[in-house]
Amino acid sequence: MTTITATALIADDEPLLRERLRAHLARLWPELQIAAEARNGREAVELFEQHQPQIVFLDVHMPGQNGIEAARSVARRALIVFVTAYEQYAVQAFEQGALDYLVKPFDEQRLADTVARLKARVADPGTAGAKSPALETVLDELAAELRRRSGTASFLQWIKASVGTSVRLIPVEQIAYLRADEKYTLVVWEGGEALIRKSIRELADELDPSRFAQIHRSVIVNLHQVVQVNRGANETAEVQLKGRTELLPVSRSYVHVFRQM
Amino acid sequence: MTPPTALPTPAPRGIDAFVGALSLRRVLIASLLALSVAASLNPIFITPFPVLLGRLLVIAVVLLLVFTAAGVWHPAWLPAWFAQVTAVGLAAPMITLVAYLPSVAGDVSRVLSHESYLSGFVWITGTALVIAPVLALGALYRERDAQARNQALRFELERSELEKQALDARLRLLHAQIEPHFLFNTLANVQELVESGSAQAAPVLRSLIAYLRGAIPRLDDATATLGSELALVRAYLELMLLRMPDRLQFELAVPADLAGLRFPAMALLTLVENAIRHGIDPGEQGGRVEVRARRDDASGTVVVTVTDTGVGLRDDAPPGTGLANLRARLAAFYGSQARVELREQVPHGVAAEIVFPVTGAAR
Repeated sequence: MTTITATALIADDEPLLRERLRAHLARLWPELQIAAEARNGREAVELFEQHQPQIVFLDVHMPGQNGIEAARSVARRALIVFVTAYEQYAVQAFEQGALDYLVKPFDEQRLADTVARLKARVADPGTAGAKSPALETVLDELAAELRRRSGTASFLQWIKASVGTSVRLIPVEQIAYLRADEKYTLVVWEGGEALIRKSIRELADELDPSRFAQIHRSVIVNLHQVVQVNRGANETAEVQLKGRTELLPVSRSYVHVFRQM
Repeated sequence: MTPPTALPTPAPRGIDAFVGALSLRRVLIASLLALSVAASLNPIFITPFPVLLGRLLVIAVVLLLVFTAAGVWHPAWLPAWFAQVTAVGLAAPMITLVAYLPSVAGDVSRVLSHESYLSGFVWITGTALVIAPVLALGALYRERDAQARNQALRFELERSELEKQALDARLRLLHAQIEPHFLFNTLANVQELVESGSAQAAPVLRSLIAYLRGAIPRLDDATATLGSELALVRAYLELMLLRMPDRLQFELAVPADLAGLRFPAMALLTLVENAIRHGIDPGEQGGRVEVRARRDDASGTVVVTVTDTGVGLRDDAPPGTGLANLRARLAAFYGSQARVELREQVPHGVAAEIVFPVTGAAR
């Protein structure tokens, strides 16, 4: 095989894994020059702009900006090889998008295949772009999937409330109900009560509607903790919660919440 | 609109409640009572039996309506049974009088002046006044009984719910606690140590074995202690330190005399894993994890804290099953006195605290 020279960037937050990839590449492709090593996605993009390498090895899971987001910045300006430890969904997406990838821990034979493909593409750049027409689409979908998995839930999951001198983190599933209290909102949960600054209106928008329901202009209740609903006069009702004695009013405009129950 | 404060338990109100209370059973009981009263009063009445029965049926049905209405619309400060007895007591003479009107062509004075009409009136009113309280008390007793049964059912339900939660927690523990992502990344690191002939390989493998032995699901908590849990946490943190040497520092500070306390397996590991996953790993700068324990003699508890100086929890970060699982396991292990609480750290990071009673949990 003719000698093909190229430059590469390695991005992985785990130093031993950067070392391992560098060592194996040195053996399999001595002419490949490692221009830089990055410890996270942000550094990867910065060092890419600085060194303009032809090849980028990107760990998918990195702090701050992850590998997929970094790849979107690099886009088609380099050959990208993703490195991942288990993300099954990512592997599927890579295969569909004809993107090169390595699964950690990889063996040298697998890396040798990747090196052979990279050499071919470096030697004949014309084939590189044509092979992955849907690159941006695949990366967008992967970035969205990764965000979902790393937990950017669309609803509020924790309430931060000042109790004494500290800020308590209350998982929303522990909350019994929330009630407007002048400028504040009273949070009542298994471990006590606290006032927060968020308004009932804001909370109604941010909390998961499959778990929380507004039952009154000033009250939001955790549906999972409702034990009993008593119907009252004039199309109103009252709600009783698990382990609590107080009854919460359901006003006429919200009575429909309990219609199907 | 009323403010959502504590209110007295409301009885069902309105026409619906009234119709609901007027069951076929009640109508039948009223009719049968009328029949039996008619039969027992017949010998002393000169009135023909069908007329007497007719009169009593009308009286019984009207009194039933009064009785039911009083039960539904009585004032909140008056007990239902009292309102019912009073209403029936007041209504009985009037209804009886009305029932006599057809026989006396609408002349009330004839009922009061005619001796046989008057004695009939007194007999029927008297009977109604005797029967009404008995019926009201009967209804009251049945209602109490139903409430007690309801209460018992609810307690039963709550108990089985708790048992189910404890069982669920144990079952979830059986499912993979070891994340494949963690395992494969760690193995990739070990692979590099072995290939490069690093002297670090042997101690790291020891940590991995200790971690796997501790974290592989097991149901038997009988031998688990705070000490064994700390060994598991140490193994885990050593492995994470290998993977992110530039981003992680940690310290374990638990007094030796607490190591022998019984402690549910994986409980502390859950908090430490959360500190890494949500606090240290997402930040480019990483941070420091500290595990501390102290005995609080005043309250007879032990407090174990896991603090990190990581990025902190975003309020839309999923709490995951780990924390809910941990709470269920603490409840199953220590009862209601144990708790887990999370606080924000200044300037950033999270402090998680497990508090458990030391009496009864001591070896």
